[in-house]
Amino acid sequence: MVSKSKALPKGVSAADFDKVVREIRAIVGDEHVVVDEDKLAPYRKIMMPVPDEQHELSASVTPDGVEQIQRIMKVANKYRVPVYPISTGKNLGYGSAAPVQRGQIVMDLRRMNRIIEVDPELCTALVEPGVTYQQLYDYLQEHKLPLWFSCPAPSAIAGPVGNMVDRGVGYTPYGEHFMFSCGMEVVLADGQVLRTGMGAMENSNTWQVFKWGYGPTLDGMFTQSNYGVVTKMGMWLMPAPPDFRPFCIQYPNEADITKIVEALRPLRIAMVIPNAVVIAHTLWEAPCTPVKRADYYTGPGAIPDEAVKKIQADHNIGAWNVYAGLYGTKETNDANWKIIEAVAAGTGGKIITQEASKGSQALQYRFDLMKGKPNLGEFGLYNWRGGGGSIWFAPVSQAKGAETLKQMQMAKTILAKYGFDYVGEFIVGWRDMHHVIDLLYDRSNPEQMQKAYACYDELLHTFAKEGYGMYRANTAFAEKVAATYGPVKRDVEKRLKKALDPNNIIAPGRCGISL
Amino acid sequence: GSAGAGQWRDGAELYQKVCGHCHEANVGPVLKGRGLPPEYIQRVVRMGNRAMPAFRPTEIDDATLADVARRISTGAVLA
Repeated sequence: MVSKSKALPKGVSAADFDKVVREIRAIVGDEHVVVDEDKLAPYRKIMMPVPDEQHELSASVTPDGVEQIQRIMKVANKYRVPVYPISTGKNLGYGSAAPVQRGQIVMDLRRMNRIIEVDPELCTALVEPGVTYQQLYDYLQEHKLPLWFSCPAPSAIAGPVGNMVDRGVGYTPYGEHFMFSCGMEVVLADGQVLRTGMGAMENSNTWQVFKWGYGPTLDGMFTQSNYGVVTKMGMWLMPAPPDFRPFCIQYPNEADITKIVEALRPLRIAMVIPNAVVIAHTLWEAPCTPVKRADYYTGPGAIPDEAVKKIQADHNIGAWNVYAGLYGTKETNDANWKIIEAVAAGTGGKIITQEASKGSQALQYRFDLMKGKPNLGEFGLYNWRGGGGSIWFAPVSQAKGAETLKQMQMAKTILAKYGFDYVGEFIVGWRDMHHVIDLLYDRSNPEQMQKAYACYDELLHTFAKEGYGMYRANTAFAEKVAATYGPVKRDVEKRLKKALDPNNIIAPGRCGISL
Repeated sequence: GSAGAGQWRDGAELYQKVCGHCHEANVGPVLKGRGLPPEYIQRVVRMGNRAMPAFRPTEIDDATLADVARRISTGAVLA
């Protein structure tokens, strides 16, 4: 029997929970269902400004494949017990591996980690949820395949399926990960296995090459949702270019963001610069250099602008630091390099080439990420204040200079009100920006924790009032973020949920969707 | 190898593919040569510790974790 203090799934009795555990153990084996609170510790570690108890799980189950997941779905339906699927579970700053609601059973798919196929001619891969980017990187190296993938900063320990399912991004020309996925396999709540696109056809060999299939294209519905458990994903890989030329352009002033964005937009839309460019603020660069906040400021409130200026001067960091790359042959890159030089000269930016970057940690990890080489250099961010507190505030912006400046100033003002620093970057799409701000706080300090919660709340609602929405959010704010997108969208989402998962067993609450 | 389900060849491979990305890169503290007790290392990996994320047995199996902890504490060969 489970103890009374234990987190149980919402509306499920201890007696029924015991039955659930027994029946799931019969499917996956005793050792693959964990209920012991000590052993569940790794699933509980969160960086969000809410108590651990709020996202406490009741159990974890680690199935070894699709067939076991189908059978687990039957048990979940029978007892109406919610399961929360994770792939590699490294959604740091968005909720990590903990469930969106207290008491859910985490379905940990990390054991399902086969690289099913890599086609070096078509440049495609088909992978399971537990595959990490490091694993895929090693595979490509071992097989001497000149193929690159795009990965987010936690690359070495994160993986393509989990990242794509939350619509994460990377830094190569394939940086918009959902856009470069092709074909999904999903176990539905009723246990049926759906393959999207061309995968629905028997004997098809085009699952990973043509995205849409026939009729409604459903892939998007299974990202940032809870309509199924994604068990396979196809992805397009980029052929390694003969010549890769990463570079950084540094700018001295915060207000320069306007001209930077205006200058970059045409280059990005015309694909002269083909990759997901980053424009990183000083305080994003500093902790990755690494520079400690405490060495420059220990007083109350946000770090003053003068201290930030001092960091720039002491460590050769710009107010804004543009990271981009040219990908092609030597000849095409030589031609495009002239354009880059002219743009930098015309806007007052200082170019740092790969040769000149030697010895800089902050530049090195960026240049590696832009060719899909896994590293964890960016985790330096978590040392800025330390204490394990971090949530991503990530509004979408137009790629227009005035807009980015406005968002930056709005965010900086609200952060300062609560004593937090503006640690932000713009990830540049063709026409959009993911304006990614790391709300860093000391989670071991209860006062900072409260302030971080209130700060995110104010950021969210102030931005929403100006018409700015989040592209992705942590589990503690799922409901509030969903509310900013209006009632009609939510009603449709609920009707879909009812049709596909009438017992509300797959991650209820994810992105605000629940019956 | 890293193709296994949280199964690694040994602690040295794990250190190279996971721990070293931070602890050899000025992100996490240096671990080598400090004689840290293996129990402490195992606990921090499972619980996480402030800025450091936690790792589940599905990512790092118990045997490899014990091996990497032993190697770190005794100064045995790491990658």
